[in-house]
Amino acid sequence: MNSSKLLDTQALAETKMQSLNKSFHISGIGNGLVSGLTYGIYSTLVVVASGFNPLASAAGILAAPFVCSGLNDLFAGIWLLFYNAKQGRLKELWRTLRTTPGKMLVIGFLLGGPIANGAYLVGLALAGAYAIPISATCSLFGALFSWIFLKQRPTKRVVAGMLLCVAGAIVINLVKPEGAPNFTLGVICALLAAIFWGAEGVFSSFGGAMIDTDVAVNLRELISGLVSLFIVLPFIGGGMHLLAGTFAAMTPVYWLIASGLSAGISFVCWYKANATVGTAIGMSLNVTYAFWGVLFSVMFLGQALTATIVIGSIVIVAGAILVTMNPLDLFRKGE
Amino acid sequence: MLLPARTAVLNELYKKGNATVEEIMADLKCKYGTERQFTKKLYSDHCMALEANGMVELSGYELDDAGELQMEYRITDDGRSTVHKYVAKKYQDE
Repeated sequence: MNSSKLLDTQALAETKMQSLNKSFHISGIGNGLVSGLTYGIYSTLVVVASGFNPLASAAGILAAPFVCSGLNDLFAGIWLLFYNAKQGRLKELWRTLRTTPGKMLVIGFLLGGPIANGAYLVGLALAGAYAIPISATCSLFGALFSWIFLKQRPTKRVVAGMLLCVAGAIVINLVKPEGAPNFTLGVICALLAAIFWGAEGVFSSFGGAMIDTDVAVNLRELISGLVSLFIVLPFIGGGMHLLAGTFAAMTPVYWLIASGLSAGISFVCWYKANATVGTAIGMSLNVTYAFWGVLFSVMFLGQALTATIVIGSIVIVAGAILVTMNPLDLFRKGE
Repeated sequence: MLLPARTAVLNELYKKGNATVEEIMADLKCKYGTERQFTKKLYSDHCMALEANGMVELSGYELDDAGELQMEYRITDDGRSTVHKYVAKKYQDE
């Protein structure tokens, strides 16, 4: 009697565990997809914001993108402060900054924040939606840096994915769109963004796994926003003047508050996906932002739909997924 | 200054080797118990995230008297070497 009751309890525990695992998996996949969608929305909203004066008519190629990326990241950081305050986690920000893994993450944030985000937005300004899939090659660089600095040898599958990313980038660059004189420079900037995002990942391998990702993301956005606006921007000719003018106009600021919210949601969901279904699947789902970004640009920003951007995006996303995971695992784990 | 909560959870498993989420929370209660983030949900999230990163592994699970699932975690070699390298000695020995 007792032993049969014990068996019943064990069976019930097993059923509960299985359903818990299943709901983790589903919420992880959901978070990954939401992170890709909201990153696409963020990319589009920033372009909308930069279409308003004084950003639209700003001189030089650096000032407007850095005002946009700085304000976007600062607003994302403020949104995330509300989120973490609600969970009672504000103290964690300072605690995290004091640890060695926290300090290593901050170095990564400086590469991935002001440098990569800034370069990404310069790329978007110069090359339009073409910059979006190019920046998705960051998983290629992540794998490459892990190989060089962390001695993690890539498998044949990863190398094949890397080659696909390169092929996709070449396809996108084959036909230059009309009316974009700095197109190649824009693509190079998007590539720089991908390189620094790839390098950012390396800094999380110094104990970063012990850090709460919701807190890390909050620090990243705040640090990136503050450094872009108050350390980088003063060195860009007319930068601070443009920042003041943007606040005076206010309309672009509203759009950047909205883009900051999308960016904040995207990062939180991305890291949540990584922590439930693993970084490989999480990153692969996040990379779908390239599709969304291109789609929204075609729908709302009048981006011309060309064969090279469609084929190039598909090849890069396929390559990025191949770098991070074996696509067959997605079906196996779902069983 | 206290360790960040997730780091404290891993550090606790480093000291104990093996523990359920509830046991970890009982040990950390004197330091973190008054914080609003001190909830079973967030501490289970910490364990799951540490598991996804290979720092700990699920060593067992059972139902408690209330029919709630209790999950027990064990620190891995990776987790142990991470604490060893990146957590200050005074927290490891506490």
